[in-house]
Amino acid sequence: MSVDEVLMRGRFSPLKNVLSYDVFNTGFNGWMSLMPNFTEYPDFDVPKTLICKDQYPPAMLSSATYRYPGTHGAMSGTFSLKLSTKPVHNPYCEPPKTGSLGHGLKRMAFWRPGCRYLQIESWFSHTAEQDCMDPNDRPQPGLHENSIRAFGWGFDIQRNGMRTFCGMRYLNAVDGEMKQKWQYMYPTPGTDKDWAYGLEGEWCKRGIDAFWFGKRYQDGHTDGFQWLPDGDQRLCYNETDDKLNWQYVRMKIDVENNEYVEFQCQDKVWDMRGIPTFSREAYGRIDYLLNPTIWVEGGADRSVFLYLDSVLISME
Amino acid sequence: MKNFNASHLQVKKCIKEAFQTFPYEVGWADEVIFFFTIEHITEGNPVFTAKVQLSPDGVRWGDDGETPVAKLSGEGVHIIKVAPNFGNYIRLSVETTGGEAMLCVSIHCKG
Repeated sequence: MSVDEVLMRGRFSPLKNVLSYDVFNTGFNGWMSLMPNFTEYPDFDVPKTLICKDQYPPAMLSSATYRYPGTHGAMSGTFSLKLSTKPVHNPYCEPPKTGSLGHGLKRMAFWRPGCRYLQIESWFSHTAEQDCMDPNDRPQPGLHENSIRAFGWGFDIQRNGMRTFCGMRYLNAVDGEMKQKWQYMYPTPGTDKDWAYGLEGEWCKRGIDAFWFGKRYQDGHTDGFQWLPDGDQRLCYNETDDKLNWQYVRMKIDVENNEYVEFQCQDKVWDMRGIPTFSREAYGRIDYLLNPTIWVEGGADRSVFLYLDSVLISME
Repeated sequence: MKNFNASHLQVKKCIKEAFQTFPYEVGWADEVIFFFTIEHITEGNPVFTAKVQLSPDGVRWGDDGETPVAKLSGEGVHIIKVAPNFGNYIRLSVETTGGEAMLCVSIHCKG
């Protein structure tokens, strides 16, 4: 057994068929920034939308190098995949400001016959930029954990005439107030127009792209994300913005029963059977779509980052 | 086999002010090229003066000094080949005079 295989089996709990195993110290492995569709007249313009996705910062290979300690590296070598936000934000209950989200995904289109379960696992870390001191009206004004609004993992799937969005979101803070609770992706009932913040003619349908669509509420829930029962969890942020600690997350879904099965973060495991995943009628030209998708959102006028050491996708 | 990657830094954005591209990490790469494409001139005769800047931490920046400062005008693709020994964090710092244009700026790395 090679060292790589020992590490994979030690760090991950894959289902029977591993579809992709990406260690970012070896490169991007097909993970890329999300981009809109450049399909419109007259000059490869993008469809009319409130959510401008072509100004998201690019995903990049990061050495996690900081002002004082130098290079942190990754869990598996020197480089991880870094998702970033620009140093901008809107208040929580408004639509996300352009550039306040960072998004990475890998584009696949496949389903193995006879398989029913799909799983994503990842080792990750999160931090805010150590850019400037906040006002000295609280302890540790140089610690910016509460600038990170949220991050999460999910799937965008299309099979059997249905498009399914599912995922888990860690709501870290709302307008600077720490929350540290997990939510699962599922839309509340309503219209497509409401889903798109009231914009008439928005191309998106309710339940699609809950990362940025769906009205948000001050307590932290949104029309696209519901509270995971007993979903409180204090992840490790460490004591300063320039210390990373690698943590583990796993989400398993059942595509036959259209439900979540299990979610794990660190040592905590949630039995999610009975909680449905959401599907809409199929979109054109994306049959068999199987896109794992990962995102981070900022909640202050400073960049925040989600680092991914590795991601494993499996099914059985 | 070497790695290669191209990432967007500005996409179809009309610009007539000074700007800096988003800090980008290139510690894995041996060579870096910025493609600075003036897609359309939308006002006047803009001239973009682009300097490569490097940073130890992605927060504090200094001029590279080795890559020549580029004065860019006219529609089309302009190429900025970054001098070797660029470290990890890199960006373009751009002054704009004389007008506005729609820009696409991307960074292409190999290593």
